[in-house]
Amino acid sequence: MIETIQRAGRRAFSLFERAFDAAFGPRINPFYHLGALSFFFFWVVAASGIYVYVFFETSIDGAYRSVEYLTHTQWYVGGVARSLHRYASDAMVISVLLHLVREFVLDRYRGVRWYAWLTGVILLWFLYASGIGGYWLVWDRLAQYVAVVTTEWFDWLPIFAEPIARNFLNSASINDRFFSLLVFMHIGIPLFLLLGMWIHILRISRAKTNPPRPIMIGSLLALTALSLIYPALSQGPADLDTLVSRVQPDWFYLAMYPLIDLWSPGAIWALAGGGTLLLMLLPWLPHRREEPAAVVDLANCNGCGRCFADCPYSAVILQPRRDGLPFESQAVVEPDLCTACGICVGACPTATPFRRVSDLIPGIDMPSLTTREMRARILAATASLTGTDRVMVFGCRFSSDLTALKGQGVGAVALPCVGALPPSFIDFVISRRHADGVLLAGCIAGDCYQRLGLEWTEQRLAGQRDPYLRGRVPRARLATAWAGPAGGATLASEIAAFRARLRAMGPYRHGSTPPPASPASHPPEDHDVSYRVG
Amino acid sequence: MSLIEWDEKYSVGVAAVDHEHRELIGLVNEAHDRLMRPGGEEAVMDFLGEIFARITAHFALEEKIMRARNYDHYDAHKADHERLLDEIRDIMDDYEDGEFFSEEPFAQQLKTWFAEHFSTHDARLHRRLD
Repeated sequence: MIETIQRAGRRAFSLFERAFDAAFGPRINPFYHLGALSFFFFWVVAASGIYVYVFFETSIDGAYRSVEYLTHTQWYVGGVARSLHRYASDAMVISVLLHLVREFVLDRYRGVRWYAWLTGVILLWFLYASGIGGYWLVWDRLAQYVAVVTTEWFDWLPIFAEPIARNFLNSASINDRFFSLLVFMHIGIPLFLLLGMWIHILRISRAKTNPPRPIMIGSLLALTALSLIYPALSQGPADLDTLVSRVQPDWFYLAMYPLIDLWSPGAIWALAGGGTLLLMLLPWLPHRREEPAAVVDLANCNGCGRCFADCPYSAVILQPRRDGLPFESQAVVEPDLCTACGICVGACPTATPFRRVSDLIPGIDMPSLTTREMRARILAATASLTGTDRVMVFGCRFSSDLTALKGQGVGAVALPCVGALPPSFIDFVISRRHADGVLLAGCIAGDCYQRLGLEWTEQRLAGQRDPYLRGRVPRARLATAWAGPAGGATLASEIAAFRARLRAMGPYRHGSTPPPASPASHPPEDHDVSYRVG
Repeated sequence: MSLIEWDEKYSVGVAAVDHEHRELIGLVNEAHDRLMRPGGEEAVMDFLGEIFARITAHFALEEKIMRARNYDHYDAHKADHERLLDEIRDIMDDYEDGEFFSEEPFAQQLKTWFAEHFSTHDARLHRRLD
């Protein structure tokens, strides 16, 4: 059943993502940066919150008055800050929930990813507690409603000796100190949220906590425009001696609140608690059959650290050498963290198909598709091709349906990720004339299923990240199609166009390596080519 | 007779690097020996592939060590590594396509390819890492 939901969800997401791809281009499609976007909204909320806090009075009478002052008198800064504080929080709920659903439908929550999933689910409570706490502080009629319903909800739990709703919430007993406590909580809980967000990404190598700049600027402008056109307003001062009958709740945070009244607090506890528990258990219901983790072969590993630098999951670490050879370190795989993406193999210098004396066993290899097997499959896939437009397709198996290419005059090998292809295989296929051109098919640019495989591949091809694709490989014989799972037609037309170009070129003849146009050792600064020193 | 003899001047003073330098010299010599024997041409191609793999790994390690020690000529040294890798791939393809008609120039090319980097870039690295 889970797979049916995932398939339907993938179709739905794909529909929106294609529309956004067309509008913005895949590299700044917000759907591919939902986690980072949530971080960004958090910072917008934090910055606007600090400004609002400067003017906020922590007293029963002062709270409403000071917020009104910001909204109406100081509307140009204070009002905008208040609205940004509100709308960015709402936006964070949207981005977080989309992030959660998207990771679920893409099946990126099980196996080694359980940690980020579990911590993420727990964070939902902190997010809602942070947001709902904020509604109290305004102390308008909505705040009164939230306060009454929240306390009723908590009163249902058998932890308070006397109902807090009756004790706190009347105009005689509520005092200014209570507001200080609320402010303290509204700062403290978001700080815990931030701490939790840090824990959430702990196991992710090079976690992206900032979306691309155009997304940041665009969403900030949109939120600011919204704040100016529809400023967040209070709904009349709270009065605990009267009963609030009609309020307009914020559906992003308070969607459950009408239900607490309508059903019963107990039912909502069951729903929220049960829902959370179900989400938390999801990675183990049922447990995914894992591909075997990468394995290190010490005879072929000198501890150069390229696999360590490129692993998107921090599953490869460098440890002191233990086999007596005079190297400082050796690669060690943490099987619990390995998704078997193979990107480490793509980085390994000994994973080269030109080796013929020793067995083709690289320093690090994937048992599910060994480097030797990869070479064998290439030879098998290209053996029957004829003509001068023979294309060898390497495709990521999550994003491209390579079986559809059968019988089209191309050879195809599916990889766990395009990043699993060592660049020297491209050199091998072309220079040994196994095919006239190589086409790499992968996820939509900006949305690599294995996080970093596509980025590393592009940098390797451009001679900006080790291992470089040799400058001698004629780039006209190399094509990429980052079309994603829905891009079957795009892939087919790319292949057809590529083959036409190859026919026009004629057969491959090798010459000497051309000198690089620009020094390859000075990568452009907008690429992250930094290395982790182990 | 070996094509290249190990010489202390090849040492850069890092045990791992020196160890691989010795191994590489061994491989180049072995390739040369096989070439000089009758019917050796077949085997040479295999050895070249092996040398390419080993030297790629060796450069990767050397680059890591240079980065870790903030070696000042890293960019130039790295660029020379890449040039050498392009060159050996050219040599391999020339050989595969049968463009070497005589063993001796081929051996000389291999030796030059190998020794020049040692005597320039690696020698400087040695002085700096001491």
